[in-house]
Amino acid sequence: MNIPKELKYSNDHEWVKFEGDTAIIGISDFAQDSLGDIVFINLPAEGDQVTAGEVFGDIESVKTVSDMSSPVSGTITAVNEELTDAPEKLNADPYGAWIIKVENVTEQSDLMDADAYEAFCKEA
Amino acid sequence: MSELKRTVLYNEHLAAGATMVDFGGWDMPIQYPAGIVAEHLFTRSACGLFDVSHMGRLLVEGPQRVAFLQYALTSNVEALTLNRAQYCMIPNERGGAVDDAYLYMFEEDRFLLVVNASNKDKDLKHLLPIAEKFDVTIRDISDEYAAIAVQGPLSRKLLEELNGGKELTEPKKNACGTVMLEGHEARLSTTGYTGEPIGYEVYMKNADAVWLWKRLGEMGAKPAGLGARDTLRLESCMPLYGHELGTDHDGKEIPIFAVPLAKFAVSFLDSKGDFVGKAPLQKQFETYTRIQAGDFSDISLIPRRVMPICLVDRGVIRGGMTVYKDGKEVGWITSGTMIPYYDFEEEFSTEKVARRSIGLAYLDTPVQRGDFVEVDVRGKRLRAVIPASHMNGRTPPYARPIVWKEEK
Repeated sequence: MNIPKELKYSNDHEWVKFEGDTAIIGISDFAQDSLGDIVFINLPAEGDQVTAGEVFGDIESVKTVSDMSSPVSGTITAVNEELTDAPEKLNADPYGAWIIKVENVTEQSDLMDADAYEAFCKEA
Repeated sequence: MSELKRTVLYNEHLAAGATMVDFGGWDMPIQYPAGIVAEHLFTRSACGLFDVSHMGRLLVEGPQRVAFLQYALTSNVEALTLNRAQYCMIPNERGGAVDDAYLYMFEEDRFLLVVNASNKDKDLKHLLPIAEKFDVTIRDISDEYAAIAVQGPLSRKLLEELNGGKELTEPKKNACGTVMLEGHEARLSTTGYTGEPIGYEVYMKNADAVWLWKRLGEMGAKPAGLGARDTLRLESCMPLYGHELGTDHDGKEIPIFAVPLAKFAVSFLDSKGDFVGKAPLQKQFETYTRIQAGDFSDISLIPRRVMPICLVDRGVIRGGMTVYKDGKEVGWITSGTMIPYYDFEEEFSTEKVARRSIGLAYLDTPVQRGDFVEVDVRGKRLRAVIPASHMNGRTPPYARPIVWKEEK
């Protein structure tokens, strides 16, 4: 299980990377592994508002569908449209395949550091 | 909670890193590290190995075995000759399915009936009282034999190599044979649940099956789990008991003739005589024949049919989702997901992989091939179409996907 130290994690298995004012969001290695082959993603649009803890899209594997919840509140400034045609990138490179970038972050969910998240995954 | 049952290949699955799940009381591999998509595609392009040892295997013996099976199954058992197999239903008195099954004649004096794992106990409870009226015995040999499905364009070549280069069976569907694979006795048939034009199901003694699994792995075949088994059967529109056969999600019985494969499984020949559910099935068949001719005046016996369905809009259809036509509810998806395929024109090629959301649906009978419908996908109505089928499996060595394309 790959859990990069420099990232923060939500209890919905999203990762967040804070770069200045921007929060970059994706799904964790644990999430992609539990889902299995990811075959579809429903992305939000640039300019959409997201709210911490609320659903901003969904992601589907062959076996199941899963909501993606935003770990922060703010405005979506970029969407990784590449994933629409190649959702399998989320399996191949979960920390490279970011999903959305959010700016004007006003609030965030309780996020875990890598060690806490690793312990959290072990319990799951 | 009772302990999950294990097939003889259990340790092989663990060694290969499989994700194991409870499947009808069996601890079975849902997928291996390669994943469902890769396992599905590898079966279409090369050769997938499936552990199907969990399936129920019943040996039917005795002087009245033909008469018994003619009465207890829907097919014409008399037409089954040595080294042939046939698809059949185990009908109930109402013309519904207790189970679907495959009947094999590997030996002159006995039949092998292979039933769904999760239905075996129910099937036995249904069949044994019928068998009491005949001079037959039904023996459950599931624990003595293992079964491996070897499916895909390379399957024949690999198995023939193990057979000293010799032909395994007659080169047609539903053929069977008993051969020695490098000194190990194997009974095999050109059957399967993947829709592959070339594929085998191999029955062997437990110890021999472990050998075959490893040997075929060394030769380049790759294991595929229940996940890929489901996407492969769905792409070839084969019914799965509990989804397209048995009872629907309202608890109502699905008439056998509501399922497209039924016409191959049911025989009303005079020589077959009476059988369980014959009268209601005959009525269903009359209705079915009228429907096929475009007459929908009386569809009371087959109010709904199992049809292929293909999502036109972006999204994924899944079992249980409601289907609408012209704003009116017309049924629901029985099985559905996103399924990968090789996108090629004339010549088979693995260069381009695409995917589509397809499935099977149980729809009001007036809904016809070519119709557009809508599926409620998590609160959104998405457009879908009823195609003739999803795949052509009669094009050896490679199955050809039939991809629905909107006319421009």
